Amino acid sequence: MKKRRQKLNLNRRNFLSGTATLAGLAATASVVPINISNANHKDGSKGLPDFISWKDRNALIVHSDKGIETHRSAIGESLITPNRNVYIRNNMPTMSDKQIGDRNNWKVSIQGVKNPKTFTLAQLKKMGHTTMATILQCSGNGRGFFEHKVRGSQWKTGAAACVLWTGVPLMKVVDACGGIDGSAVFMTSAGVDHEPTGLDPKKAMVERSVPKKVYKDAMLAWEMNGVPLPNAHGGPLRMVTPGYFGINNVKHLGKVAFTTKESSVKYMKSSYRISPIGKKGSQYPSCWEMPVKSWITRPTDETGTVKAGKVQIVGVAMGGTRKVRSVKVSVDGGKSWKRARFVGPDLGKYAWRQFVLETTLTSGTYNIASLASNGSDKQPELRMENRRGYAHNGWKDHSVNITVV
Amino acid sequence: MKISKFLLILFFIFSANIQKSFSDDDKMIKGLEIFNEIAGCAGCHILKAAGSEGNVGPNLDTVSLTEDSVKEMVTYGLGVMPAYGEENILTKEQIDIVSFYVANTAGK
Repeated sequence: MKKRRQKLNLNRRNFLSGTATLAGLAATASVVPINISNANHKDGSKGLPDFISWKDRNALIVHSDKGIETHRSAIGESLITPNRNVYIRNNMPTMSDKQIGDRNNWKVSIQGVKNPKTFTLAQLKKMGHTTMATILQCSGNGRGFFEHKVRGSQWKTGAAACVLWTGVPLMKVVDACGGIDGSAVFMTSAGVDHEPTGLDPKKAMVERSVPKKVYKDAMLAWEMNGVPLPNAHGGPLRMVTPGYFGINNVKHLGKVAFTTKESSVKYMKSSYRISPIGKKGSQYPSCWEMPVKSWITRPTDETGTVKAGKVQIVGVAMGGTRKVRSVKVSVDGGKSWKRARFVGPDLGKYAWRQFVLETTLTSGTYNIASLASNGSDKQPELRMENRRGYAHNGWKDHSVNITVV
Repeated sequence: MKISKFLLILFFIFSANIQKSFSDDDKMIKGLEIFNEIAGCAGCHILKAAGSEGNVGPNLDTVSLTEDSVKEMVTYGLGVMPAYGEENILTKEQIDIVSFYVANTAGK
């Protein structure tokens, strides 16, 4: 055993020098039982990883200890997804309390502004305060519906959540630095969660560039649904880029820079690119704006058979970077559609809306689908085939089959 | 004559099985070496069987993987994980062996 550990240390040095490297065997082949009653914990003994032991195991599908999905029927029926049900997708290990230290002393540097500065979290808290609801959604949410072999967690609908963030508007911070300097084209955010690993930042740092305009609605968040931002979700400070895929909402935020070029790290240059199957490269679009999307959350095949008679068909709908305007529901696989009704409060264009269609179903089998529109775009019927299974918003794959008795 | 032919066939079947068994054992030994020392998988993954405690990629004790899915992942990489095949970090034979090893130890 001692000998083995020595070998591991050697290996670590090789890795840090860049000659040997790391592995990241995501749960490509993990089978994902959908029935909530056995919720992918067949023997009942496999719990959650320590860093998220506070989450609700019954609400979650565990693809791996780094990829954990919310059950379709556990997304939350009161608009906001409770923290205990929110999915986990971390590219780097979650930082520990020890690594973070005094949360109020957490530092973020602002660059590409007239007067570059570094602020502590305590200072940020004095600079402004706002709360905003946005949708956090992994770029690969829906990957599990693709038929070609796609590496990565096989998410269906549950790599998404609607979250209330509290923090400071980035505009306030930029203003305190004298405004953006020069002709920046991008807002580039970098996390520091790679630092404890000692890995090559070019390969491991999560640094994401988005169009500069995003900063106008962006915020630096320290609270999530009313509690200090959990480490597992990027605490103590996270970038929130409303309407943009999860990867751009950089966790454990250490730097925000206004830049003329996109970041050159791997997570920007080659990862998260939407390319045709069999092709890859930085010439393809990055996972930025989320498309319009919706899905049914009840009834589903997770909730068992449905009793004949009056049925409430419930779901969530998002407009991406625009307000979601309407949702239609079909109970016959898309042959006919009825307009659903939005329910609950409207928390702004970056939050999702819940919808309901009350209908009467007699015994039989039904394919239930939803189709959302944001006024200019609507969900396509089919997925956009792409190499890594990103940005799936086709309504057909997201439909559910139910049995009414 | 018929009996000797039968025995000969039995001998070949038996030999083949012995050979396969040795081959698999060899792959497990070589696979461990690739995992811990050559490819550096251990630097990023927990795998009890290998004594590794890396915490960058998924804990391999918590997932069940097929040999093909491991091969795919090792060959093409994902995120911070390099494409060991595409980037010629490992040979095809090494990828086959380490994939066999991981598929037979992960999630156990």
